[in-house]
Amino acid sequence: MAAAGIALHPACRVRREGFGLLFYDLRGPRLLFAETGDLIPVDFFGTVRGRDELPEGVSDRQKTVLQKFISQLLAKGFLREQ
Amino acid sequence: MSNKYVEKGLRAPVNLTWEVSLACNLRCTTCLSSSGEPAHGELSTAEALALVEQVHQARVFQINFGGGEPFMRPDFEEILSACHTRGIMTCISTNGTLIDAERVARLSASKGLVAIQVSLDGARPETCDAIRGKGVFNRAIEAVKLLAATSIPTSINTVLTTQNASEIPAMYELARSLGVSLRVSRFRPSGRGADNWEELRPTPTQLIEFSDWLAQSGDVRTGDSFFSLTSQERQGLGLNLCGAAKLTCCVGPTGNMYPCAFLQTDRFLAGSLRERSFQQIWDDSEIYDSFRSLRIHSCEECTRFDQCHGGCPAVAYHLKNDINGGDPECLERCVTSIADTARSAAAA
Repeated sequence: MAAAGIALHPACRVRREGFGLLFYDLRGPRLLFAETGDLIPVDFFGTVRGRDELPEGVSDRQKTVLQKFISQLLAKGFLREQ
Repeated sequence: MSNKYVEKGLRAPVNLTWEVSLACNLRCTTCLSSSGEPAHGELSTAEALALVEQVHQARVFQINFGGGEPFMRPDFEEILSACHTRGIMTCISTNGTLIDAERVARLSASKGLVAIQVSLDGARPETCDAIRGKGVFNRAIEAVKLLAATSIPTSINTVLTTQNASEIPAMYELARSLGVSLRVSRFRPSGRGADNWEELRPTPTQLIEFSDWLAQSGDVRTGDSFFSLTSQERQGLGLNLCGAAKLTCCVGPTGNMYPCAFLQTDRFLAGSLRERSFQQIWDDSEIYDSFRSLRIHSCEECTRFDQCHGGCPAVAYHLKNDINGGDPECLERCVTSIADTARSAAAA
């Protein structure tokens, strides 16, 4: 069975800012300021991704940080499993 | 709220308040923009659609449409559709009188990209109609009922005045009974609201009572209206500083850009969309720069400074002609005002 995919919640948007990524949730509305720098491109959230999929070329340490970040986005409802 | 990111300036506003027309079929006494007849030289359909594209390119998340009554513009649904095609979220502030079943059906097709606020200024027809006009209460309620039967997020929006302050808890119950939420907005002395300010402004006692009620009513929305009044516990639900030119800005009916809807005067004109692009004005306007660096030093010693950062500059401007002077109706000043009045009464 294939792993579940994850995607930006339909009520949410994300864009690039100088500090990293800015997430917006219409349902609050609420904002999430993610100090990710250049670690993850905004396009990463443009399509359905595998649960463990990460941008290419990141180090093991960065992988750990990004996995935790994506888990937080899921927990906060900015991302959802498909 | 991550103030450090906001104060550095974002690449674009999070949301835009767009007053698409000054035209309105009502003459509410609290109207922030003295709406009635359309403004001379309002944006054409082509100009409005071009602005939607610019806002999309800037990656603004949401447009809050107001006026005037947005549905007075014959092309308003076309503008709305252009937003939704681009994935821009929209919120419409309407008086509800031009909403019928056919319009609701069309709005429902937006697939979650539209939310609607229907203005209602009292829990009783007499209270609401004294502010908004005869028969408006019932017409607005009918609109809310039509919207509540759909999946469109709908709220009742109430401007707090001295006339309806005692009815706010009943407004909350009314909204609940209709299956929608309640949003309470601050009455500000701009537009027709300035003409009726002394008659309609809530008293300091009413503001404090409302503040206490708000602290216990976590599901009532206030946007950034009452951050100068809200309790520390409520801060987690919203802003603790003015978002003008930092998180939001305003486009007026003729394409002029301002820091917020309550500061649509020549003094605060950031630029015209007929002369410069949306992004250029956001990036380069000296007016916007001045708001991003605005510090209300006179409030810095206040124990509540971290909660409100000086409050609403628009109220300070309209009442004291000084955006640096601190909000004249903040919670601290309400308490001081009541104490002064009590002392004066005791001395008399």
